Amino acid sequence: MTTILLVEDDKNQRLLYEQELRLEGYEIVTAADGKEGLGKVQEQPPDMIIMDINIPKMNGIETMGMILSKYKNIPIIINTAYSSYKDNFMSWAADAYIVKSSDLTELKNKIKEILTKKAKDLKQRQPH
Amino acid sequence: MNNELSTFNSEKVTNKLRSILSEHKGMVLDESILSKIDVICGNIEAELKKEGIETAMLFKDAEQSKKLKNFEERRQQERRKNDNITDVIGIGLCLLDKELKIIWANKTICNWLDLKESPIGSCCHDIYHCSEVGTKNCPAMNVFQGGSGRIIETWITTKEKRRMCVQHVATPITDERGDINNVLMLTIDATESEKIVHRLLLLQKLGEAMQGTLHLDKLLHLILTCVTSGYAFGFNRAMLFLINKEHDVLNGKLAVGPSSPEEANQIWQDISSKYTSLKDILDELDHSYNIDTPFNTMTKLMVFSLSDGREVVASCVRKKKPIIVKDAANDPRVTEEFRNTLGANQFVCVPLITKDEPKGVIVADNIYTGEPITEDLVNTLTMFAGQAALAIENAETYKRLADKMNQLTETQHKLIRSEKLAIIGSMASHVAHEIRNPLVNIGGFAKSLSRFKFTDQKIKANIDIILDEVKRLEIILNNITDFSKPPIPEKINVQICEIMENTCTLMENYLQERYVNLYKEFEPDIPQVLTDPTQIKQVFLNILMNAVESMPNGGDLTVKITTVNKSIKIDIIDTGKGMTKDALKNIFEPFFTTKPHGTGVGMAVSLKIIEDHGGNINAESEWGKGTTMSLTLPTN
Repeated sequence: MTTILLVEDDKNQRLLYEQELRLEGYEIVTAADGKEGLGKVQEQPPDMIIMDINIPKMNGIETMGMILSKYKNIPIIINTAYSSYKDNFMSWAADAYIVKSSDLTELKNKIKEILTKKAKDLKQRQPH
Repeated sequence: MNNELSTFNSEKVTNKLRSILSEHKGMVLDESILSKIDVICGNIEAELKKEGIETAMLFKDAEQSKKLKNFEERRQQERRKNDNITDVIGIGLCLLDKELKIIWANKTICNWLDLKESPIGSCCHDIYHCSEVGTKNCPAMNVFQGGSGRIIETWITTKEKRRMCVQHVATPITDERGDINNVLMLTIDATESEKIVHRLLLLQKLGEAMQGTLHLDKLLHLILTCVTSGYAFGFNRAMLFLINKEHDVLNGKLAVGPSSPEEANQIWQDISSKYTSLKDILDELDHSYNIDTPFNTMTKLMVFSLSDGREVVASCVRKKKPIIVKDAANDPRVTEEFRNTLGANQFVCVPLITKDEPKGVIVADNIYTGEPITEDLVNTLTMFAGQAALAIENAETYKRLADKMNQLTETQHKLIRSEKLAIIGSMASHVAHEIRNPLVNIGGFAKSLSRFKFTDQKIKANIDIILDEVKRLEIILNNITDFSKPPIPEKINVQICEIMENTCTLMENYLQERYVNLYKEFEPDIPQVLTDPTQIKQVFLNILMNAVESMPNGGDLTVKITTVNKSIKIDIIDTGKGMTKDALKNIFEPFFTTKPHGTGVGMAVSLKIIEDHGGNINAESEWGKGTTMSLTLPTN
């Protein structure tokens, strides 16, 4: 089963994403801040990470940098209320940048798209 | 003494007196001229004494030679000759004794004071009609007491009925012992100097009026009004040219004066019945008056090259000296063109000079009255021109200053607006973020709820309302965040007409629904411009939407695209409600809206986008009539 790590400081939002993404058939692991998120990744690397940028204890971008340096293959989706971070070149390293919305369709589509791509890449790399 | 006096004069002395007086004719009498007269009087005294001795010797001689009869004849002859000289010297002379009785007077003073009979034996105040008699101001008495005395400025009417301004100067006549036995009253014609004083006062007044005017057009009008006003210089017409340094030419700026003799009569009648002084005229000066006259229009079209300098006005400026042209038809300095345009045979050019730098020239003439232009008047006019030039320079400096101030104010406004935008932007961004998170939760959970089956349809309907409202709030948030951080434009060469065409197509249905007729007037061959098509489309959409919303009952929407001076002009004209002046002033202010559901960022974002493209938006609106939004985009 695909595991997604969700780093989000808003408790209710964590609950919302957990519920919604579980319905999509993913296993959801949550973390409330960057530090906790990094710990969870080290404990058990997920298939994908969704994070807010403006999270307490280590800024999202900083956390992302740390994860990316160790786990190059884990795709990251930035899900934030700020559209301004789009211009920050660090955020280009993310696989997707989504502005938070009550309509989760965009997020769900992005997850599917990235997972499909990842699976395809893996397949190509594996010797037949 | 009496007898001796009548023989005192020598041609030498009187001629000198005359030459000094003529030398100083027309000037304000000052100490120097008075001291000169004093010296002459000294000489006269010396002559007197000499004559006395000679006479005594003659007597002696006569007694001796018994040629007394011959001597008497000679004496009479001498006396007549001298009387003639004192009569023509152009100065009134009158000799007084200690009782202030007149013992001798020349013909000049008799004529000037219009005396019917010989004044000899009368008191001085009887003929001078002097009010100072017996007072300590009496000049004759003062002189007898060893002081000095004169009466400045008395107006008299001469035998020839000429109004004349005179000065009386009392001069002591002493005998060999140095005692003052007589006083000689000199009466000097000061009419010319008085006129000059009057002119100087006038100049001062005009100067004050000019210095108080900083508006250049008004000032030019004022200057020429002074030149043409009967209370000042009284020329029939006057034109003013200013130097345009950039093109090295003299440009006609303004002309004041009637265009025809009929008009001249009319105007002069009007003026004399309406105004009683120059101040009146200047106070009432209507600066639009005379502006449409053919004479003014003609003057404004006149341009003379300075480098060529053949033209009389150009040489006047170059030489920095006034030029009086008395016979234009035969004057080589005047070109035929200028002569024909002006139409006057006699005129004067006076340069406007400040700090030794020519600024322009005033041309004045008396084309209708034909009154000759005197050198005197030109001298005064030259002085006036100096003041005028200074005032013009002041006004020009002030205008430059005002322009700079306007620029500064505009820049300041822009700065304030962008500062405001920045503050609002960061605030909005913060608030948007804070609101967005709970909104995501509300909307998200409502959505997850809506997946459940409810027996009561009302629950489902209420959830949908929550979802709709959340969506609306999110749209507003998106608008605000877009505004706080408008993306950097990605410019490509595009055809503006195409973008407009696309936008219109997008709105087709909407327009039909609202009964709005769309008229497109695109000029052919509109060049491509480097723009971000998405952003420009957003601006068009924004303005078109506003236009349609202002016409709830339908109307006409006209979209015009034209090229104007290296830029593309897009006019969007509606026949809607229009805006109040207050609304018009604020439409580009962020968060200003007149719409119940507007966010008030549409026009602010639009302006920001257009400004990012180096263009501008101008809004014109009339309440109840409609609005015209004009966008300009530079083509290069």
